[in-house]
Amino acid sequence: MDWGKIKFFLGEVFRNFTRNAGMQATAIGTVAVTIVLLGAFLYVHASVAHLSGDVFSKITISTYMKPAATSAQLDAVRTALAKDERIATATFVPKKEGLKELSQRMKGQIDTSLFTENPLPDKFRVSVRDPQLVPAVAASIRKLPGVDTVEYGQDVVQRMLQVANVGRRVGIGIIALFVLVAGIIISNTIRLTVFARRREISIMQLVGATNMYIRMPFICEGLLDGILGACLAIGILAIARASLVPKLAAALPWVQINVVQIDISSLVLQLVVVGGAVGIIASWIAVGRFLRT
Amino acid sequence: MISLRGVSLVYPNGVRAIDGIDLEIGKGDFVFLVGHSGTGKSSLLRLLYREMTPSAGDITVDGIRVDRLRRSRIPALRRHLGVVFQDFKLLTDKTVWENVAFALQVTGAHTKDVMRQVPRCLDLVGLSHKSRMYPGELSGGEQQRAAIARALVNNPKILLCDEPTGNLDPANTTEIMDLLGRINLKGTTIVVATHNQAVVDRMRRRVIRLENGRVVTDEERGYYFLGLGQDQILSG
Repeated sequence: MDWGKIKFFLGEVFRNFTRNAGMQATAIGTVAVTIVLLGAFLYVHASVAHLSGDVFSKITISTYMKPAATSAQLDAVRTALAKDERIATATFVPKKEGLKELSQRMKGQIDTSLFTENPLPDKFRVSVRDPQLVPAVAASIRKLPGVDTVEYGQDVVQRMLQVANVGRRVGIGIIALFVLVAGIIISNTIRLTVFARRREISIMQLVGATNMYIRMPFICEGLLDGILGACLAIGILAIARASLVPKLAAALPWVQINVVQIDISSLVLQLVVVGGAVGIIASWIAVGRFLRT
Repeated sequence: MISLRGVSLVYPNGVRAIDGIDLEIGKGDFVFLVGHSGTGKSSLLRLLYREMTPSAGDITVDGIRVDRLRRSRIPALRRHLGVVFQDFKLLTDKTVWENVAFALQVTGAHTKDVMRQVPRCLDLVGLSHKSRMYPGELSGGEQQRAAIARALVNNPKILLCDEPTGNLDPANTTEIMDLLGRINLKGTTIVVATHNQAVVDRMRRRVIRLENGRVVTDEERGYYFLGLGQDQILSG
């Protein structure tokens, strides 16, 4: 190891970094805001995915047969459901059992023993592998012979799917915008230090420094902006989580917030990597423009 | 050492800075480029260290085809050359030592080499005792000597000087030219672009005269004005 070389290099990076302290603070702050948003989004997304995963997994399609359906039609529907790869399970519920379930669920409200005949049709209870496919599967089941109606809480499921999709898209859009803004601000910050050192750079080029060598301190500067911003953001997120989660848990007792397990260390790693990457790319572009002239 | 064949340089605005120059400069030569301002002296030097690319023609410097050089190979060329300017181009926030060392450090040299080469060059230009001073604390002549030390620290075979004495008084001018003469004696090829008549007439070296981007005369042991020494002008 050549310590003289390392000391010289780190000295250059440090000199760059302290030259525009104000701009560096702006760049770090912007990165921090971006990463806070990204982190909060990922956290909320993971929580919601966890919670909604529970809800979605409980969605079943109730397939009611026509009262006049023949046993051949019944078998045909059974094999069709078994063949469909989108379907996880399909349970046959004969009308006798359906009545039993109903009387249990309605205990004390309706006395089913008063029924002179069973008003329920035979049905299949179908659960689907991917909740997104529920409407499509339901539509194809409805076309089978002998099937009367199909129910899966159409309105509710459709609404939930829509909200989840829109939420994800809006979140990604906002974060993309902030990543772009953070990149531009880092890029401008680096350009200022590059500009302040343009004489030095032209002399470096004159005495035969490679572009890579000239670039390195500036790339490190951008990397430092990105990583410091990410660390700041992680600190803010940690404080926010520590103070908000207990309050949320108290305010929304039916949402089991504490049950959601999120891999914090991988989330932190992701955020730092995003911050560093934004810094490197932005500074690479900033110096590149200068070196080409 | 330096060879140009049919070299032209046309600026984007249509000005022909260099117009079909053929030139050979041998190893260990000391050459003056003279001519009025705007006749292409600086442009010619810029072509040699690839600050610019010729519009036409071949340029070979120390065996490197400069006109065909890929961008990524330019640093390698620059390490074979030393360049000295009228305005010194020293970094004002670094000491003399740091300025000279900088030229080596940015090429990724080992600290060991830096510690060996920098004192050698400072000694050669006679600035060892001022190595801890900043450029602002030096006279013009001393600043130019520091710049020459920096140009020499890579052990170049060729030293290109663009008006090296343009900002200096006669005493410092003489000092710098004597220094260049001593460096030339050690075998370094030196090309000096100048319009300082006294310098050219005193040294009596090869003089290449440019006019409108063309070589008009090329004499061994020449004078600034064609065939005339200063004394002859005065007496005539």
